Amino acid sequence: MLIELVILSAFFSGLFILFSSDENSHKFSFYLSLIPLLGTLIMWINFDGSGNALLNGGKIAFETYVPWLSLGSYSLSWHVGVDGISMPLILLTSILTPLAILSAWTPINERKSQFYGLVLIIEAALFGVFVAFDFFVWFVFWEAVLIPMYFLIAIWGGTRRKYAAIKFFIYTNVASLVMFIGFMALIFGLGDSISSFNLIDISTALHSGQLDGLGFLDASTLKYVAFIALFIGFGVKVPIVPLHTWLPDAHVEAPTPASVILAGVLLKMGTYALLRFNFTLLADVAQKWASIIAIIAAVSVIYGAFLALAQTDLKRIVAYSSISSMGYVLLGLVAYTVYGLGGATFQMISHGLLSGLLFMSVGLIYNATHTRSIEDLSGLADKMPLTSVIFIAGAFGYMGLPLMSGFAAELFIFIGAFGANFPFAKLITAISMFGIVIVAGYLLLTIQRVFFGTFEVKGNPDLALPQIHDLMPLVVILLMIIALGIAPNIFFEMIQDAVEPMVSLLGGISDV
Amino acid sequence: MGPFDLIAAIPLLPLTAFLVILFAGHFTPSALPKCGAIPGILALSGSFIISLSLLPLVYSGNFFNNSIYLWATWSISDLHFGFLIDPLSALMLVVVSLIALLVFIHSLGYMNDQNEQGLFRYYAGLSLFSFSMLSFVISDNLLMSFIFFELVGFCSWVLIGFWFREDAPPKAATKAFLVTRFGDYFFLIGVVAVLVIFGTANFAGPNSFPVLAKSAILSGQTLNGLDPQTWVTIIGLLILGGVIGKSAQFPLHTWLPDAMEGPTPVSALIHAATMVAAGVYLVARIYGFYALSPTTLAIIALVGGFTALLAATMATVKHELKQVLAYSTISQYGYIMLALGAGGYVAGIFHLTTHAIFKALLFLGAGAVIIAMHHDGDMWNMGGLREKLPVTYWCFIFGSLALAGIFPFAGFWSKDEVLLETLNYGLGGSPILLIGYAFGLIAVFVTGFYTFRMIHLTFHGSPRSQAAREPHSLRWNIKLPLVVLGSLSLLAGAINMVPLGEILGIDLSYLHHWLDTAPSNLTAHHYHELTESFSGYHSAYFSSIISAILSLAVAVSGMAFAWKLYQSPNPTESGTVYSTRFNTIYRILMHNYYQDDYQLMIASLTRNKLATFANIFDQKYLDGLVNELSSKSLSLSNSIRRIQTGAVTNYALLLSIGLVLILFIFALLGGWL
Repeated sequence: MLIELVILSAFFSGLFILFSSDENSHKFSFYLSLIPLLGTLIMWINFDGSGNALLNGGKIAFETYVPWLSLGSYSLSWHVGVDGISMPLILLTSILTPLAILSAWTPINERKSQFYGLVLIIEAALFGVFVAFDFFVWFVFWEAVLIPMYFLIAIWGGTRRKYAAIKFFIYTNVASLVMFIGFMALIFGLGDSISSFNLIDISTALHSGQLDGLGFLDASTLKYVAFIALFIGFGVKVPIVPLHTWLPDAHVEAPTPASVILAGVLLKMGTYALLRFNFTLLADVAQKWASIIAIIAAVSVIYGAFLALAQTDLKRIVAYSSISSMGYVLLGLVAYTVYGLGGATFQMISHGLLSGLLFMSVGLIYNATHTRSIEDLSGLADKMPLTSVIFIAGAFGYMGLPLMSGFAAELFIFIGAFGANFPFAKLITAISMFGIVIVAGYLLLTIQRVFFGTFEVKGNPDLALPQIHDLMPLVVILLMIIALGIAPNIFFEMIQDAVEPMVSLLGGISDV
Repeated sequence: MGPFDLIAAIPLLPLTAFLVILFAGHFTPSALPKCGAIPGILALSGSFIISLSLLPLVYSGNFFNNSIYLWATWSISDLHFGFLIDPLSALMLVVVSLIALLVFIHSLGYMNDQNEQGLFRYYAGLSLFSFSMLSFVISDNLLMSFIFFELVGFCSWVLIGFWFREDAPPKAATKAFLVTRFGDYFFLIGVVAVLVIFGTANFAGPNSFPVLAKSAILSGQTLNGLDPQTWVTIIGLLILGGVIGKSAQFPLHTWLPDAMEGPTPVSALIHAATMVAAGVYLVARIYGFYALSPTTLAIIALVGGFTALLAATMATVKHELKQVLAYSTISQYGYIMLALGAGGYVAGIFHLTTHAIFKALLFLGAGAVIIAMHHDGDMWNMGGLREKLPVTYWCFIFGSLALAGIFPFAGFWSKDEVLLETLNYGLGGSPILLIGYAFGLIAVFVTGFYTFRMIHLTFHGSPRSQAAREPHSLRWNIKLPLVVLGSLSLLAGAINMVPLGEILGIDLSYLHHWLDTAPSNLTAHHYHELTESFSGYHSAYFSSIISAILSLAVAVSGMAFAWKLYQSPNPTESGTVYSTRFNTIYRILMHNYYQDDYQLMIASLTRNKLATFANIFDQKYLDGLVNELSSKSLSLSNSIRRIQTGAVTNYALLLSIGLVLILFIFALLGGWL
């Protein structure tokens, strides 16, 4: 029941705000967004799941299973619940949403109620993506996230907002189509062995070798084809190089709160789906192609970092750096070790917080100086000490400074990937790790140029102290980043428990 | 409750000071005594006293090796924080906390009395640094070491860039962090490899990775597809990357001279006595691991010897007092590396200890001089300060004599032992070490030279500027630390006077015995056995007296040469034979062998060429392809082309078409039609 309450409270709050007046909609939406937060916190405290939801012996927490309707020979059901992988992700969603709403108070001045309404509807859809265990239900939520996000960029975005919004929309929609076809091929290949779209049934059927060929494809080819289709479909969302070019445009044009949700949670839909579909359902293919996937991950890390190094717009730097960080997630997933898979999940949370923090601080700088170009900014630390300190703290977190969440996440991934047993695992891991040097390079150079030296800003900067509602989200996120860095076990134990069955599924080395 | 129950307080006191200073400094700055110096001094006094009280316990054979906090669960062992108190870490704790305390006191004079702004940031940084450094020293595993290794780097970044409104300090801070990060990249791979290959990162105990590595080599089993000896060498070299970065060894030494842009007390604490020592301390900490690989040991010795000489030569031409000291620091850490690589574990730690003392003294002395000179650090503007600043002068002389290795100052005993051990093992069958010895011995001459060039230009001759004629007066807070460190520079050698022992026929190697009271796998004796059986190091037992006389003679001739060139009341560099005849050499030295230039070139090529190329490729080709594709496919149909107008209804249309299409395919394949 709790899950339904959380989703419905977010959804109806969204509808309510959408159709209420602009006045005070920012406050109402903030307070209303605390309801799902409270709900997920209660879920976290009472969490009693164990193992992996899709694999044998997994106990799903807060599970609801209601048969719904039947489509031909398949039945559709409302099947939701959480395990150790989805629990941290829905917490991340419910924490970031109120904070993103707060960060919108200053920059969003037009059509406020619509803005906040859409944000809350996105939140509801995101919850759905992370909790649904029926493919159809999941797919509806997956697509439902897109539409409000499209409007957030297209209406409240920067000067090239329409281009960016269309690009985002078409890119991800084509990807969804590819993914959908791939998945359906898999379903039909399974034939009579399944009678529902329940992912757990599908997982059981796939792992007990029930897959037949489809048309001219034999069973193993079908698996490969489906894997590629799903990989491309989810890879766009992550994004994995070379499917990433929508991301910088979307981010640069999106208003700050939308960027926070986009980088903080939306990208994790991609890695979450990769984890559930490619790396759980089709684990054997993933392991067979592990070296290639790991190389793709390494390319994402290094190439993304180089792209970030070349940027001169603060927001573009943060946007490109996401490509790099999400590359690490892929590297961790493909390792098939407890630390690799667990680190990847932990990195999803950590990156959600860190990128949210950086986007919000860039937003604060932009609110005050009306520019995001590194060349127009200098010596901000002199006049905007608080904003500067927070950006710098976030940047060091992003660089993987120990005792902040990014270090823990990346360390786990490195340990997991280094200990993986696919060919060249150690070499590929070592090369990917070079990302930590490049990220330090572009972030430190940015800090040096923007915050240090003599104060100089073009135009009329507004140097008043930021409002409490501007600062509070940043401080809260920073504290969470530090807390997770000092005590990663807050989530890591739960995550480890949920990824262990994935490792033993393939008889991988479970000690790393 | 004994001192062992208070170990946690050693790092936690400075951490508390950090939090107090940070919050009080932000919310109620006026309530913070001396802008935060007092909380820092109190905390460090506490750490120092507890560290001291550990010494007798450790000497009587007690040690502490326990995990205290589970950081992240792990199926094989665990990732934890823990403390390892043994003779090595106990000694280092005393050194670090003492110097940190003195630097806090000195800062009262150097920073507070000069009315610097934003001081709470300074003291918060120093306190956080002390916390990180002390935690690093007492780490019981490699992962925790790495964590605090990085954190001291962060504190160093904060403090080098303290004067962030200027241009140079932030640049220097960036460079320092990046160069050390480059080294830490290899170190991190090493940490990960140790965890994966050996399943534990613990330093001590029967299940520590050095012990496991040793038994793996002895048993001849393969580990992850490679033979254990190869793994030990690879991992050793990877960790060495971090060491070379942090301890500013060739070729990653270039950040340290730039780091002198930070306040001088920071240079004394972080960039001379403690953080830079972290690298070599790490080598000593896992010496049981390094001793297993002759290749790694030889590389450590050669890098060390080469750096000792290279950096010393660069110090001979510098104008800034702090620059001379910076290159001298690089050079001295080269000696420590040389000792450790040559099997001289005790010698290395001995020199680490004495160097920390006399180099902190020299930097604090330089701080005193710079205040007196109204913040001018150029030695060519000084001269004749001997009469004006007698206390500083004599303390500085003590430090310089120790640095040059002159009897009976601390540096004489330790540097001599470094060279003696290198010679011993070199002659005893590892001739490659003799190259290191030769580098080291030549560097002794150069050290004597630059040290006394520095003394002459700074304190002797006649004043060459208005500031030097009327120096600023110095208060007790500057002088007290100098006197304490000055006395120690004279006396600290007493902990291991090997040549004197040989003359008197008694055993004076107290430090050796101290380090032998460690737990069984961490004793100097054990390390000696390891280097002997795994790396083939055998001592030739060369006479320590002859070696000492030789290095003393070389050092004195270096001093004499400097005396000859710079003794005049108004010395000039261009007037000396040294610079006219060796013009080219002089220029190369001035440019630091173009080390900075090529590294900056690599950095800017990466950024301006490689990254820009990637960016253009991305925008023009990858993204260009996508745009091309979409515009082509969109123009296929007129009705859908209207999508480009951005009208919302069109997207609804697109969505519906998509959905219908999907359902159609679905239905077709599912056989409902």
